Amino acid sequence: MATDAAKNKSSDDPVLQWVTFRLDGETYGINVMQVQEVLRYSEIAPVPGAPSYVLGIINLRGNVVTVIDTRHRFNLSSGEITDNTRIVIIETDRHVIGILVDSVAEVVYLRQSEMEIAPNVGNEESAKFIQGVCHKNNELLILIDLNKLLTSEEWSELEDV
Amino acid sequence: MTKQKDSGDSIKPPDDSLNNYFDDLLGGEDLLEQAFNAMDERPMPVAAGAGSARVVALPTKKNLDEKPKKPVLRAEPTSKLAPQAMATFAEPEAIQSLEQKRKLEKLLQSARTELLVDVPVATQVSTETKTQFVSDPDEIQEWDVEGLIDEVLTVGANSEVPIVAEQTQHEDIPQAGHFQIQGLEWLENGRPQWAQSRFDVLLFKVSGLTLAVPLISLGQIQPLTDELTPLFGQADWFMGFQPTAAGKIRTVNTAKFVMPERYDPHFLETAKYVMSINGVPWGLAVDSVNQPITLMPEDVKWRGDRSKRPWLAGTVKDHMCALLDIPRIGQILIEADKNFTP
Repeated sequence: MATDAAKNKSSDDPVLQWVTFRLDGETYGINVMQVQEVLRYSEIAPVPGAPSYVLGIINLRGNVVTVIDTRHRFNLSSGEITDNTRIVIIETDRHVIGILVDSVAEVVYLRQSEMEIAPNVGNEESAKFIQGVCHKNNELLILIDLNKLLTSEEWSELEDV
Repeated sequence: MTKQKDSGDSIKPPDDSLNNYFDDLLGGEDLLEQAFNAMDERPMPVAAGAGSARVVALPTKKNLDEKPKKPVLRAEPTSKLAPQAMATFAEPEAIQSLEQKRKLEKLLQSARTELLVDVPVATQVSTETKTQFVSDPDEIQEWDVEGLIDEVLTVGANSEVPIVAEQTQHEDIPQAGHFQIQGLEWLENGRPQWAQSRFDVLLFKVSGLTLAVPLISLGQIQPLTDELTPLFGQADWFMGFQPTAAGKIRTVNTAKFVMPERYDPHFLETAKYVMSINGVPWGLAVDSVNQPITLMPEDVKWRGDRSKRPWLAGTVKDHMCALLDIPRIGQILIEADKNFTP
């Protein structure tokens, strides 16, 4: 009986794992299921004519992966490359890209009920990237919806890159 | 400004001066020093009586209590009554024969019975008198009930209770897709619902400007900490989330929200507290919080035209401060949030 109740609760309020990373002093989370791997910073080859949010490309075991300037995408000020800088390889809608972050922190477990819808005030397009917020370990996590990180037109642009 | 100096006898009342002062300060059209200098140069006659002189004479509770003295079943039919209603409620003296009198009494009796028990009539009355009757009878601002409505209320004295009750039910039903927080309404006397009688306000400072908010609309006051977390892609007046024991407060940069033309970025360093708004997850960042004071409605110069700065309820001359319409601010904030769900 107790097991059934626990199962019901689990299905009603699923636990999701989020990879957290730091960017401009704040902590962000992305769904662990969309993270392929985390790389140390390596040289990124710039691509002439690429969109402004594209830093360039890297060679990942023979595959070319486009790296996105996450700070630029989130309208944050640009930062310096440090020893903690990482490239997170993510997979969304059959596309594989890398996002540059200041550092990768940990994997946290969050219940669906712990997530809170974030406000959307203003006219910035980037606000739609935010899936929600959650208070965990005495800090606020900003949860990112990677599927909305780029529009379909922008994905097409990346394919051309 | 120059014009006022030239014409010595065209001295503006102190209320107007204060209003101009806040117009200058918040609107950014004139320099702040000019407003201050103008106030210093002008004499301030009858300051104490100026506020009350502007109060529109309205019926008081005492007047309402005297309402039974008012003739309710008029002997002379008025032009506002429908012809059928006039026939129903005509004065018995106007009837010539005894037969007609009996018929009239019978009609009257049936009409009274219908008015007391018939729900559709009560519904019609509540709809037509909505602006006069609110949930609290003490808040009636005008007593101009005339014609058929007046007579129906008088004939069916007991019907007042179901009318009010039914009306309250209607007001409680939220309109689909449009959430309204409490205390938003301004009544016909030009004052908000929360300022119909004596009310308490809290004074606080934002970038040197003293502001006041009604205590009834406040939630809690929490210190702004390093945990304040900004969100990218938001309006520039959104400072971020301030985690507190009672939840996350969406903090508004009050200086930028209230007077964007004169915004000083230094406010980000001086802001120390966030005052949450009752009923919404939003709060206002402030520099310092002063003592609460009690105000009478007459102490406030209420704003007539609130289309330009709807969040500004009025100005308080005695304390040289602007009174914020906090429920309106709350409403503005939730309407600005595209992700808001009631």
